[in-house]
Amino acid sequence: MIKKSRFLMFFALVFISILIAACSNSENTSNESTTNDNKDSETTSEQTTNVEQVFNIAVDQEPAGLDPHKTPAQSSVRIYGQTYEGLVTFDENMQIVGQLAESWEQPDDTTYIFHLVEGVKFHNGREMTADDVKYSFDRIMAEETASHIKSYFANVKAIEVVDPLTVKITVNTPDATFLTNLTNSSAVVVAKEVVEENGDLQQVVVGTGPFKFEEWVPDNHVTLVKNEDYYIEGQPKLDKVVFNTMKEESSRLSAIRTGAIDFAMVSAKSAELIKDNSDINIMNYQSLEYSYIGFNVNKEPFNNEKVRQALSLATDRQTIANIVWNGDAIISGPVAPSMGDWAIDVNKEELYQRDIEKAKQLLAEAGYENGFDTVITTASTYPDMVDTAQILQQQWKEIGVNASIKQIEWGEYIETWSNTSADILVGRNGSGIDPDRALNYFFHTDGSANVWGFSNEDFDKLVTQGKQTIDSDERHAIYTEAQKQLINLSPNLFLVSPMNFVAVRSNVEGYTPYPHNALDLVNITKK
Amino acid sequence: MFGYILRRVLMLFPVLFGVSILIFVVMRIIPGDVAMTILGTDATPEALAQLRKDFGLDLPLFQQYVNWISGVFVGDFGESMRTGKEVLPDILSRFRITFELTLISAVISWLIAIPMGILAAVKRNSKTDFSVRMISLLGVSVPNFALATVIILVLALVFSYSPPVGYVGFFEDPLKNLQIMIIPSLVLGTTMAGAVMRMTRSSILETLKQDFIRTIRAKGAKERVVIFQHALRNAMIPILTIIGMQIGSLLGGAVIIEQIFSLPGLGQLVLTGITQRDFTIVQGSVLFIATVFVMINLLVDILYSYLDPRITYK
Repeated sequence: MIKKSRFLMFFALVFISILIAACSNSENTSNESTTNDNKDSETTSEQTTNVEQVFNIAVDQEPAGLDPHKTPAQSSVRIYGQTYEGLVTFDENMQIVGQLAESWEQPDDTTYIFHLVEGVKFHNGREMTADDVKYSFDRIMAEETASHIKSYFANVKAIEVVDPLTVKITVNTPDATFLTNLTNSSAVVVAKEVVEENGDLQQVVVGTGPFKFEEWVPDNHVTLVKNEDYYIEGQPKLDKVVFNTMKEESSRLSAIRTGAIDFAMVSAKSAELIKDNSDINIMNYQSLEYSYIGFNVNKEPFNNEKVRQALSLATDRQTIANIVWNGDAIISGPVAPSMGDWAIDVNKEELYQRDIEKAKQLLAEAGYENGFDTVITTASTYPDMVDTAQILQQQWKEIGVNASIKQIEWGEYIETWSNTSADILVGRNGSGIDPDRALNYFFHTDGSANVWGFSNEDFDKLVTQGKQTIDSDERHAIYTEAQKQLINLSPNLFLVSPMNFVAVRSNVEGYTPYPHNALDLVNITKK
Repeated sequence: MFGYILRRVLMLFPVLFGVSILIFVVMRIIPGDVAMTILGTDATPEALAQLRKDFGLDLPLFQQYVNWISGVFVGDFGESMRTGKEVLPDILSRFRITFELTLISAVISWLIAIPMGILAAVKRNSKTDFSVRMISLLGVSVPNFALATVIILVLALVFSYSPPVGYVGFFEDPLKNLQIMIIPSLVLGTTMAGAVMRMTRSSILETLKQDFIRTIRAKGAKERVVIFQHALRNAMIPILTIIGMQIGSLLGGAVIIEQIFSLPGLGQLVLTGITQRDFTIVQGSVLFIATVFVMINLLVDILYSYLDPRITYK
């Protein structure tokens, strides 16, 4: 029948147009630059080992862009941290050692002269020189870059290229944090021609690191391959590293159980589930993060420090560690315990000893002998934050503070944090690798992340001095005093610092997790 | 007919225009913006201001809209604010995966649901009918993500099997691709089958009551002919409606299934875009999904007129 075929034709037309939309795009990989060179490197290494040296990591989030100067997101840092390098870095004991700089000296308090390693090549084959170092830091400091670490180097006065392998950097005031800030995964050396050709480095990766970028399949995986021309002999040992995006924890768990994945970060509860599996090692390390309660210090009743102190006395931090983190967390102050001797022993602090009577008394002195009602705001996407809020709600009831809990979605949470629109906010901070970040950045009156409105002149003077004091013992004394003051004034209640867990297949050798670097891949091999 | 299709396609424009304004405004009303989610606690006021300027977020709203929509007209959906990737190619490559998932799931669901629905209708009130109705009720009630999680666990613990990690396209490696797609498609297909089964059964029952069926039987036609050549075709319209709706919504991305099976589909893209407040991604995806939905509706309408010649379009 004529009608039938015509209908079929129209139907086919519309259907085909949908099909064309579906099948039109044949390329789904992003980076054009380095895909071809890497094929050779794979074949040579196959002869030396029996097991394919491809390391599969399961990550919970797709990376944001890969531009190191512009992207602080952890999901990106763990990837570009393998491909880019800075002047200095930390060794396994958190001591500063050279990376692209093999040595350096300080002729005076405000001058640093770095001697670069010779023969370091970028992934595009060009040799790195002092000009690249200057270019990279100029880029970090430039307004158009909008770099998130620009403020770390606000103290830099000038960067001078002395010769192709020597860079001189001068700072305005003596700065004890300068070298530490240089270890930041974002303070790395990039190649000028790559930036100029591409506008930015979000989609293209050319660094000096042990691994080179091969491909990024969106929402699926990012593949890195071995840098055959890496300037350190014998590193890296792996041929390929694949970061697989697997958002669902149960999927990551099942993949590591079966060996489809070699490595995954897991929650404490998941670690419990798989620890008895003989093919998997569970490793843990103390993180550099801590959870906290933030107060809007300019709003009643939290503008009265007695109220904040009372709440600290009503809080049982050990219970929080036991219930929320299964006991796998340590009580912490503003400087996380994993920072070694920078952190004071908070267990000795008066305000950390739970005392209901004293708390009630302080509240009465502040004019709230009948307690008060309030709201605790938390992010619904982080179960540990929600659990913490619930425990605090119960603990604070005992002194007459009735808190209701408000859960908000992540985007809204960030805005609430940034605008301080909540009275009480449950949060997590990374205390960083230098006490300056933990104390200055968050709590100095002009600190970039001081969203609480906290301002104390004596404290400001202390931390400013601490930043400029080079002598280690003096600096330690200053920061000890600063921590005590901060705990006493309690603009935040510092709670606990959790342990992080990683699951690694037992045939993986050469891996150790550190608080400052949980993904040190250069020495890993697979048996 | 051709005129009708043309008019329907032209109607896309006002629809998409309305959708574009709606999604543009909604994204900007909700709290939080992309600069903050990118910088997180590293958001100094200068970095925030500069980043917002980079994304053009400091321009007046009308200007931002015009800049974006004028690009859309020439096929430039802009770049993802979070990753810098071009939006339209990203959407299209994700759509391939969602499309394949939808296709395989739909076929599986039809293969299960239609025969069983017919069986239940024909053997009405028998044990077969009863079990089919129970199964379809399960399909409709069990959430597909619950089934998915259980299946993954069972496969890993009992069979030491987990689906291959990392997606490959069908044309690159058909075998591996099917391996990756089969379990999520089975999960989706079986849960979709429930609704189709019920509709098939009730629609066939209705059709079988009609006079013309009595006539055909009286004329001596075999029961098989009665069912498949006459009753089924007449019963298809409500079934097709349900199928059309299911497919339309699936093509927007079965978000949770994609997440559980790590499939880089369209649903994932939109969800991540929303959480990260990536305006260009969400705007582009919503426009795309709206277009697909309108086209599917058109397809279903054309199919109606094929199935029932009494329905004509001028």
